[in-house]
Amino acid sequence: MKISAYQMFWLVSISSLVELSYLPTHLAAAQSRQDCWISILLGGGFMLAVTWIMLKVCMQNKDKTLVGFIKDLLGTVIGKIVVVVYFLLWFMHMSIILKGLVEFQNLVMLHQTPMIVILLGVMFLVTYAVLKGGITAVSRCAEIIGPIFLFMLFIQLILNPQDMDIKRILPIYADTGWLSIVKGAFHSYNYMIDPSIILMLFFFAENKRNASRTILWGTTIALLWGVLSTLVLLFVTGPNLAMQLVFPIYSLTKFVSILNFIQNIDAFFIPLWLLGAFIKLSVCLFILSYGLSEWTGIKNWKLVAFLTTLIWLGYAVYCISDSRTSDMPNNLFLVSLFYPFLYLAVPLILWIAGSIRQRLKTPIAD
Amino acid sequence: MIRLLFRRSVPLVLSLVLSSCTDIVEPNQLAFVLGTSIDPAEGGQIEVGHQIVIPTQKSGPFDGLSESSEGFVVLSATGRDVFEASEKVQKKLSRKLMTSHRILIAISEDFINKNDVSALFDKLNRDPANNERDVTVMIKGSAKQFLTLGHPMEHLSSIAADKEMQVNGLKSFSTRQFIIDSVSEGTRPLLPTLQIQNAKLSSKITTPIAQWSGYAFLNKRLKVKGALNETEGSGVLWMSGKMMSQGLTVPWKDGKGALSFRLTHLRRQIRSGGNPEHVVLTVKAQAYLLENTTSLDMSEVNNKRMAERYVNDQLQKDLQAAMDKVRNWGTDAFGIGEHLHRKHPYWWKKQRDDWDDKFKSLNVTVKADIKLRSSGTSGAQLKP
Repeated sequence: MKISAYQMFWLVSISSLVELSYLPTHLAAAQSRQDCWISILLGGGFMLAVTWIMLKVCMQNKDKTLVGFIKDLLGTVIGKIVVVVYFLLWFMHMSIILKGLVEFQNLVMLHQTPMIVILLGVMFLVTYAVLKGGITAVSRCAEIIGPIFLFMLFIQLILNPQDMDIKRILPIYADTGWLSIVKGAFHSYNYMIDPSIILMLFFFAENKRNASRTILWGTTIALLWGVLSTLVLLFVTGPNLAMQLVFPIYSLTKFVSILNFIQNIDAFFIPLWLLGAFIKLSVCLFILSYGLSEWTGIKNWKLVAFLTTLIWLGYAVYCISDSRTSDMPNNLFLVSLFYPFLYLAVPLILWIAGSIRQRLKTPIAD
Repeated sequence: MIRLLFRRSVPLVLSLVLSSCTDIVEPNQLAFVLGTSIDPAEGGQIEVGHQIVIPTQKSGPFDGLSESSEGFVVLSATGRDVFEASEKVQKKLSRKLMTSHRILIAISEDFINKNDVSALFDKLNRDPANNERDVTVMIKGSAKQFLTLGHPMEHLSSIAADKEMQVNGLKSFSTRQFIIDSVSEGTRPLLPTLQIQNAKLSSKITTPIAQWSGYAFLNKRLKVKGALNETEGSGVLWMSGKMMSQGLTVPWKDGKGALSFRLTHLRRQIRSGGNPEHVVLTVKAQAYLLENTTSLDMSEVNNKRMAERYVNDQLQKDLQAAMDKVRNWGTDAFGIGEHLHRKHPYWWKKQRDDWDDKFKSLNVTVKADIKLRSSGTSGAQLKP
């Protein structure tokens, strides 16, 4: 299973865009109102830096996945424990996206369809793609879906010209202050992109040098869209309305009215999001099950993928039926400990450990 | 063979389930709501009326007059909130109410004064079946009655009102804009007002139709504080940046004749130098002279310039008077507070809580800056 650099670009950018269009804008706007675009910019810059660090780690360990090289760098026991936390992260991301997708469908379009039907439909597609073709199939799908998805998302930003008022983002800083802006970034950056997927994906890249470049590009373009869409949202609705919109990007499509003729175009965007979410979920399912098979030593990762899907199904049903889980994005433990640990602490440690090892090795090699 | 059949039938069954046939609603199962009325009802309740088109009876725009039936129905019900009332309307209907394509929301003046308008916002913003592109107007009298009225030109009174606003250059009266203005710190909403009046359309027909009567100005608590008629109101609309084009007629100094212009590219600009207590609001437009009943020869440059200056002076006076009127109500429909909020954010923090009062004593100067672009296709007057 190999991924070309071009496919890597789409895998990373779609995964990031799906998350960006779902959670962070609302989380940031709730904290920093009209300055939430600064929050997104700050969080995005941070995430880009994290991606860069993770790429460094990947470049140091080209011939292994996360599960393989973390054992070398941190020792078997600690390595195995830390990887489990990453597994949890991916599993959580999968569940959040799936839950959001199903609830959104039920709210907006399919009022009568039972939740479980939508759930099974999506999961069937995801599992089918992963089991049938692994990451190769998923990345080929991404190659097709990606350009359309990206194009439509960027087009959407310019469909509301008559309702935009650039002054709505003023006054900058004065109403909120640094504390709120940083708080907005702090609450939202975790859900902008998921850089940790490349720790697994990079192993499959054909040309490592090109892949690392396209990963950075994919992330940057997604983050750029994130900042622009936040700005457009503020231009169109102003801060007071924006902070109450739970699905701001969806609401933006509803406001579109071109010449009083082209309206209600959200019907075009919802299927696109479904396709994007399909890529995101497939990538997560694949890396999770591949990592798990390496971790447990079970050679057949497809079997693991199948079992993972069953657990995932159970957890998703639990998530949807238990309303307490809906506040998860703001959970203090997750925001202040879990994510910083996974996104910053571990990659930094791995990077430092890898660098030291390389230094130590070089003299021996001479 | 059986294997093949099985393989073929599984995708078929799946495609039925996955394409969510459970949720399919054919257009002939839908009742398209084009207008919604909000009236007060007894006990703090709310009466919601839906104007629903009967699609089978609609063909050309002028068929409606000749037929006896009107092509639409208005059904209403009362409830504690919009949803409950709508559900009661739904009970009387054979088709599913579809509000996604609504054009207009009509709120009666009584409702605004008796009930809390902001209670409507939640339903509009929470339920995805609202588009928030529909315009919001205020009706003097019963909003439901407004929906039941016919219109000589259009199928429905709601379509007529929407088109009238577009044709006459009004913009930014969507429900979303109304909500944004209402929740913002330094802008107060203003609503176009319609009144039901008898109109003699021809020698035989005299029928009540809804006509523009002006604009209502709401305060922070969304109660009507004042109203302006059409003429004064259009100046205020210009100063609020909610108008794209309008006509202007200025009587000449000597009392003989008048100059009439078409104004396009209406803009306004709020300036407050270092002192937030003193604001200058400048209105700008491009003018095209279309009628001249004065004795001036408007092909002469000096006359043009003099007329331009005079018109600006007159306009400035009129707009200042309208501005002072609105300012005395304390209803900042111009968004001056929002401008100051953006320009002087720290000063604003002390003002925002009682802006309605503070706005009354604010010093606002209106300036007009109209550029005469063309004096039409005629030079001097045609004299017999």
